[in-house]
Amino acid sequence: MLTAVVIGSGGTVRVELLAGGESGEEKLVKPSECLFEPESEELKNAEKIPQSECGAGPSPILPEAKEFIWGASSFIVFALLMRFVLFPRLKKGMEARYNSIREGHENADAARSSARSEVAQYEAAVTAAKAEAAKVVDAARTTLESERQAQISAANARINAKREAAQRDAEAAKAAVRGQIESAVSDVVSSAVEAATGKRPDSAAVSRAVADVMSAGVR
Amino acid sequence: MEALAALAAVTGDELKAAEAASSAGFAYGLAAIGPGIGIGYLVGKSVEAMARQPEAAGMVRTTMFLGIAFTEALALIGFVVFILIGL
Amino acid sequence: MIALEFPPVNEVLRWKDLFPSFNKIALICVAAALIGSLIFLLAGRKDHKTAPKGVRNFAESIVEFIENGIVMQTMGRDGLGWTPFLLSTFVFIYLCNVPGVIPLLQMPATARMALPLFLSLLVWVVFIGTGFKHQGLGYLKNSLFPPGVPKALYILVTPIEFISTFLVRPFSLTVRLFANMLAGHILLVTFAVLSKALFQAEGNPALIPMGVLPLFMLIFLTAFEVLVAFLQAYIFTILAAVYIGGAAHPEH
Repeated sequence: MLTAVVIGSGGTVRVELLAGGESGEEKLVKPSECLFEPESEELKNAEKIPQSECGAGPSPILPEAKEFIWGASSFIVFALLMRFVLFPRLKKGMEARYNSIREGHENADAARSSARSEVAQYEAAVTAAKAEAAKVVDAARTTLESERQAQISAANARINAKREAAQRDAEAAKAAVRGQIESAVSDVVSSAVEAATGKRPDSAAVSRAVADVMSAGVR
Repeated sequence: MEALAALAAVTGDELKAAEAASSAGFAYGLAAIGPGIGIGYLVGKSVEAMARQPEAAGMVRTTMFLGIAFTEALALIGFVVFILIGL
Repeated sequence: MIALEFPPVNEVLRWKDLFPSFNKIALICVAAALIGSLIFLLAGRKDHKTAPKGVRNFAESIVEFIENGIVMQTMGRDGLGWTPFLLSTFVFIYLCNVPGVIPLLQMPATARMALPLFLSLLVWVVFIGTGFKHQGLGYLKNSLFPPGVPKALYILVTPIEFISTFLVRPFSLTVRLFANMLAGHILLVTFAVLSKALFQAEGNPALIPMGVLPLFMLIFLTAFEVLVAFLQAYIFTILAAVYIGGAAHPEH
């Protein structure tokens, strides 16, 4: 499909046929309305051209000077602001807060250790008081014990004295009874010997023999 | 006659454009093979390393991104070539 | 038939001037700088005694992300002085990327060559400057003649090192950011055009409901582009940190 293009250059008007799009009803635009101007001079000066005849523009990856300058200047301004104003302020705030948090931690640690030492002091005091009380209790116990011992020994002594006196009485009574029995036995023996021999035996010898026999029998 | 000549010229241009488009496609497709394999291998190994040693995950991740960046550059150069000759 | 007509690529990338020598890209750049400054200005103004909330919390978490996620991981404690530079790089790139998914704007400023080119040239200048500042002329020696390589191999190694350090680095930084954002933008345009063409399909009414499919894809890709915007800003920043850290310490 061909499209008619009206080209007005320097007073003369020329009509040219150009190969258009397949549709054949392509929009005609002014060259200045194109995003990029057409390459050829003729089309640039044309009154209306089909849109497909607009220039394709430079390669899409070529950098553009204006973008470079705007981007560079805005980044440099931003980086300088960040370096000298924004970042130091933020960092100062952060560090101040971290320091205050660290201080708080240290204070808490100090408080904790002082509380711990107070507890230790209190516990030491408690132990001292307990030792004191134990000492008092021990002293009282020893006095009581000694008193008890004294009482017990006095009682024992009394009991012993009484027992000894009773023993002595019993011994005395036993000795008296033995003496009576001895004299009675000696009498019986001497009269028996006199009756048997007709001769009166020596009383001393008789009593000695009787005493021997009796003490052997008692034993 | 003039119109016919213009038509012929356009056809020649279109032929050139078609060649450019297909070679651009080849360029990008070929450029994507190696980095594709490379990044797959790299990330797989990194995940394996992170699974074995989760405590080293941060370091592995940083290194993984660096490796991806270097590997991916090849594919991106292919993409730029695609833009250069295809569009 | 459907009339699927992909617009010329310059039509979706180059913008008319809003006023002389100031187009949409420049507008986005200036807006990014202003919004970034505003966020940190508001964050710095609040009372710092209480727990951070709102803007301040947001700004502080960005700062801590840069410090712990980027600087400490790549440069260590010595690199903390670089935080403001890396922070502004990250915030600026992110704020230039994210208009790609904001309705009505829908153009990432980094999908044009100019801004990534400037940023990576800046990083290039900065890391070479750091190298010379920290090591003097030894920086050239360390980077071109890496120690521990047999002398004969320097014929091979030195050109490779020169190309990879001084030529490929800025080039790949530029291309990575630019091409990622451009690809995302073109992808979004493609699915939007496809969806529109299907919704307006004439002659075959069965095609009209099919337009929902590319629309869902468009929504999914928009969400994906949000992630890519963040990821590219992160990768650019972390690579800048790696380059600067490598220049500051010869044997890393």
